[in-house]
Amino acid sequence: MMIGAVLAIVLTLAGAILAVGARNIVHAVFGLGICLCGVALAFLVLGSPFVAAMEVLIYIGGITVAMVFAVMLSTVGREEPREGMAKRVLAAIGALVFFGAGVAIILGMPEQITAPVTPEEAWSVEQIGRDLLNRFNLVFEALSLVLLLAIIGAITIASRSDESHDPTAGEGDS
Amino acid sequence: MTLHAWMVFALTLFCIGLYGVIARRNLIAILIGIELMLNAASINVLAINYFVSPEPAVGQIIVLFIIGLAAAEAAIALSIILGVYRQRASIDVTLLEELRG
Repeated sequence: MMIGAVLAIVLTLAGAILAVGARNIVHAVFGLGICLCGVALAFLVLGSPFVAAMEVLIYIGGITVAMVFAVMLSTVGREEPREGMAKRVLAAIGALVFFGAGVAIILGMPEQITAPVTPEEAWSVEQIGRDLLNRFNLVFEALSLVLLLAIIGAITIASRSDESHDPTAGEGDS
Repeated sequence: MTLHAWMVFALTLFCIGLYGVIARRNLIAILIGIELMLNAASINVLAINYFVSPEPAVGQIIVLFIIGLAAAEAAIALSIILGVYRQRASIDVTLLEELRG
């Protein structure tokens, strides 16, 4: 348990630093993949194997691969110019201030319950499915609608290619 | 590990993502930062769900909703990135400044 947690944290943070710091954008996407593996491991340690499986399927299998395709279609193999020093320092200061404020808030909270619940029946996939289709049915349907609209919108935006270059061209014919 | 340790871990991941969103100029790199922040939120929800949970299934369902919305957001964002690249052969955000006042 402890080893799994430490491994999850090391994987996640190392992958996140690689994802944020790498010059080459493909390396950054690989760093994101490593980071997401660590997050899935953390979900497993936190007692949710179903959510961990969904994380691997949707994030690593879907979003990361889609990003690789987007890189391939846009700026493949191009080293970016480094961002200005001032911008990076400012960003680091902003993130550190946020981190300090968050740690202060977290340490100010009382430690609510020290004994974690044991994974039992309530954690099972069966219970998740039952809740998803009864109590959270409306949210479930709304989410499916959002996904459908996202797919249609993505297709529409990505396929509108020709008229953007020269809006006046081809007005008479067609 | 205690609840506080998990929350500080999630906060660290969130701050790394925040740094990426502020500092990078490539649109795909900014999208990667946003994904890191969303994952930090998911870890936080599941940690609270694990340690303080009257109903453990609800936290997992919330995380499933977060993952679904993140997938929709990534699809839209990547198609917008492709559209921007087609129009101006670059995805550097510092060049997108027509609406600057």
